[in-house]
Amino acid sequence: MIELHNVSKVYNSGGAPVVALRNVNLTIAEGEFVALMGPSGSGKSTLLTIIGGMNSPTAGRVIVDGIDVYSLSPERQADFRYEYVGFVFQQLQLLPYLTALENVLLALAIAPTPRTEKIARAYEILAQVGLKGKEHRLPSQLSGGEQGRVAVARALVNRAPILLADEPTGNLDRATGMQVLELLRDLNGAGQTVVMVTHDPQAAACARRVVHILDGQIVGDTVPAPEHALAPAVLPISQPAIEPCSNATERVQ
Amino acid sequence: MVLLVVGLAIGVATAVALMAITEAMQADVAVKMDEYGANILVVPKANDLALSYGGITVGSAAYDVATLSMPDVERIGTIKNAANISVVAPKLLGAVPLMGRPVLLAGVRFADELRLKRWWRVEQGMEPSEAADALAGARLAQSLAIQPGDEVEVNGRRFRVVGVLAENGSQDDDILFVDLSAAQLALDKPDAVSLVEVAALCTACPVEEMVEQISHVLPQARVTALRQAVTLRMETVGQLGRFAVAVSAVVIAIGALVVLTTMLGAVAERRQEIGLFRALGFRQRHVGRIILTEAALVSAAGGALGYLAGMGAAVTLAPRVANVTARVPWDPVLAAAAVGCALVVGVLASLYPAAQAARVDPTVALRSS
Repeated sequence: MIELHNVSKVYNSGGAPVVALRNVNLTIAEGEFVALMGPSGSGKSTLLTIIGGMNSPTAGRVIVDGIDVYSLSPERQADFRYEYVGFVFQQLQLLPYLTALENVLLALAIAPTPRTEKIARAYEILAQVGLKGKEHRLPSQLSGGEQGRVAVARALVNRAPILLADEPTGNLDRATGMQVLELLRDLNGAGQTVVMVTHDPQAAACARRVVHILDGQIVGDTVPAPEHALAPAVLPISQPAIEPCSNATERVQ
Repeated sequence: MVLLVVGLAIGVATAVALMAITEAMQADVAVKMDEYGANILVVPKANDLALSYGGITVGSAAYDVATLSMPDVERIGTIKNAANISVVAPKLLGAVPLMGRPVLLAGVRFADELRLKRWWRVEQGMEPSEAADALAGARLAQSLAIQPGDEVEVNGRRFRVVGVLAENGSQDDDILFVDLSAAQLALDKPDAVSLVEVAALCTACPVEEMVEQISHVLPQARVTALRQAVTLRMETVGQLGRFAVAVSAVVIAIGALVVLTTMLGAVAERRQEIGLFRALGFRQRHVGRIILTEAALVSAAGGALGYLAGMGAAVTLAPRVANVTARVPWDPVLAAAAVGCALVVGVLASLYPAAQAARVDPTVALRSS
């Protein structure tokens, strides 16, 4: 579903070129839950934005569902983002002056759907992530974990086939971070393709596949086992075992 | 955004206040011109310059003079633009001996004269009410020691001076004013009229046309329009109007700069939010439309507030600062212009910030704030 062919990205930092990615080749199949893992500055977030159609690579091609994303015009790239990608940001990026429902509706603002249908869909997705009854709360009236769920709901509401998450647990305490990871895992269990960036081995352990990135290159592609999460071995993509990734008590309905 | 509304409101208020005060001044001038004095003079055609009144020559008996009569006065009221005439004030002038001195006697219709000459002030005594009542000019009363209540005799007819006019520096100070009919008898010129002053409602009226119409019904008369003073005042107000437009243009330009800088600031401040929109799949034109819609709403609010504030300022300040007595009108056209202008300026000045916003990179949303 997602294919990266020889993707490189060079940033220009004050006149000096900084290589973020070099010759990355990666294929992610539909329904996978992939963690892009690596230390800070390794290029994993750049890779995520390139997959998400919002950061054109310096070289190489990105094919999603047969579409050569960066051959599209900027406006068509925006359409691609709307149709194919749901994004969960590290800072969650919920607008503080909008309720949970309105934050979710934001992702449907440009959809040519009747408003009543949009609202029904937003209610439905908020219920799906376990926020029934909290739709009209402002982000400040929600816990960190609940805010994370609103962010996930917003990423899902337009039924995009790919869910991209950038350090979704980065700003959350471990328990609430785990709740969000459980949610992503459950969604993946229901068939959603999830690509997540993390530098946290425990978060990566929730994925079914971990792609290790270092200095802009893929250095490993593993199937995590919680007990081996800190010492990855380079393995071919094989049948990933579904393992519970945490002891989080609160499961998503 | 609050700053933007306030900035625009101040700009619009300044422009509205200037425009409204100028408009009120123009209306004020119009009212005063209608109130103040004659703007058409009707005198007989004459070859002699023996007698004069207010710098306008009237005929003397020495030459072949076409005279005016009371039916002529009535005819003035029959012209096509009669509706524009507010006062017709006929006068008969004559030199008469009074207390051993030659004095200029003016027969007037007091009701019309007092309407025409709003600057007249009866300083002592009261306004005339009967046919034998007379008003004395200030210098005349002083030189002949006439007091209200005194009786004077003119050509064998007795008049009772009921009032003395305040000195106003014109020829009126030396004249004895009596009722027109009484003057016609005293001067032995029954039905005769020396000149007619006509006040027309002037700002909207075609004075030149009225002059022609009166000339047509009174071929023996010389009809003159006194437009110079009026034109001068209108020109002054016109200049003021142009000044108001120029100042408003500067204020609007400053308002546009305020909008530009505020919107640029707002776009810079909201880069992450805009980046989020872009990441969610908003096209550039969607983002541009959001910014322009916000600018339009804020500008319209600023325009409406500015209009109210400007009109408030004009209503309060016009009588004090500009000495305008006319009411400052609540003009719906000005209201629409204020809101429309604010809207256009706000949206135009936001085009560049909107374009900047549309270009915000979606990856901005990923950066930590």
